[in-house]
Amino acid sequence: MSDLSALTGSNNYFEDFAAGQRMRHARSATIDEVENNYLSKQVMNTAQGHWNEEYLAGSPLGGGRLVFGLITGSMMVGLASQDTAENALCELGLDAVRFSKPVHHGDTITAYTEVLDTADAPDRDDAGIVRFKHWGRNQRGETVCELERLVLIKRRGSAAIPETETKEVK
Amino acid sequence: MGEPDFDSFPVVLHGHQFEDFPEGREFAHHWGRTITAGDNALFSTATCNWNPMHLNAEFARAHGHPDVVVNPMLVLCTVVGLSVEDLSETGGPFLGMENVRFHRPVHPGDTLTASSKVVEARESKTRPHTGIVTWHTEAHNQHGELVVDYQRTNLVAKRRLPKGG
Repeated sequence: MSDLSALTGSNNYFEDFAAGQRMRHARSATIDEVENNYLSKQVMNTAQGHWNEEYLAGSPLGGGRLVFGLITGSMMVGLASQDTAENALCELGLDAVRFSKPVHHGDTITAYTEVLDTADAPDRDDAGIVRFKHWGRNQRGETVCELERLVLIKRRGSAAIPETETKEVK
Repeated sequence: MGEPDFDSFPVVLHGHQFEDFPEGREFAHHWGRTITAGDNALFSTATCNWNPMHLNAEFARAHGHPDVVVNPMLVLCTVVGLSVEDLSETGGPFLGMENVRFHRPVHPGDTLTASSKVVEARESKTRPHTGIVTWHTEAHNQHGELVVDYQRTNLVAKRRLPKGG
């Protein structure tokens, strides 16, 4: 592939992120049959409340299928991915993952991001580590999920080739 | 001859409850899962994660990988999924996760297995029929290498009459 940099954005390298920077990601997504019912089963989640319409009838969590929290989290990360990881080398980890309200089929998730901090990578000078905070809100403006996310991102102009094994992040 | 009395058929129950989680107990979770290229393409597109590292094999190869890098959120969801029957299927909301660390990339064709250990189990002060349990979960690939680990906390129901599934 001749020019890798032509495939990704030019405004989301490590140098473009600074603590305090905030983003509302332009595209929102509705969670329905494919996103929750199918993906929950694809990832072997055997808890039938995620894919049995009748199971949680009358539950305080609300009737109907309850969206698997990590599907909501994955959608939130996906909606934020172009703006935060298009030039990433790898995802390092997540912290403080919280699910604060139930999500049901038909709910629409919008992702919000704040850059918490940026740091040099301990073992390489062609990339740096950004710690993002993400929030996911539903169509009523209620926060349903939040998490922090550590990403190793290329510096501008780097010819970065990732190592196959990432170092432990403390 | 009429139909049998279906309500008399005993339910084949799965999973554990609060009393089954003494601190230090270990679980080797069932099944394992080979992550295919199709799994990754479907999951990544369905969650709007169109990153070329996950969906453009030539781009990933140019970064030193043998194939696309499986979306780490798919890896994480799958490992949690494999642990659900042992840890959380019998009910109680998923409260949160800490210290999720992706130790090495997963590529299509890699096979994950998962195991967990009870880190903490305590009674809920506000809900008499539930406890709060924290587990440490690890997943390894087919070479025995650690792929991801994390701590997860759930509300967990105490023993009572089965709910019928």
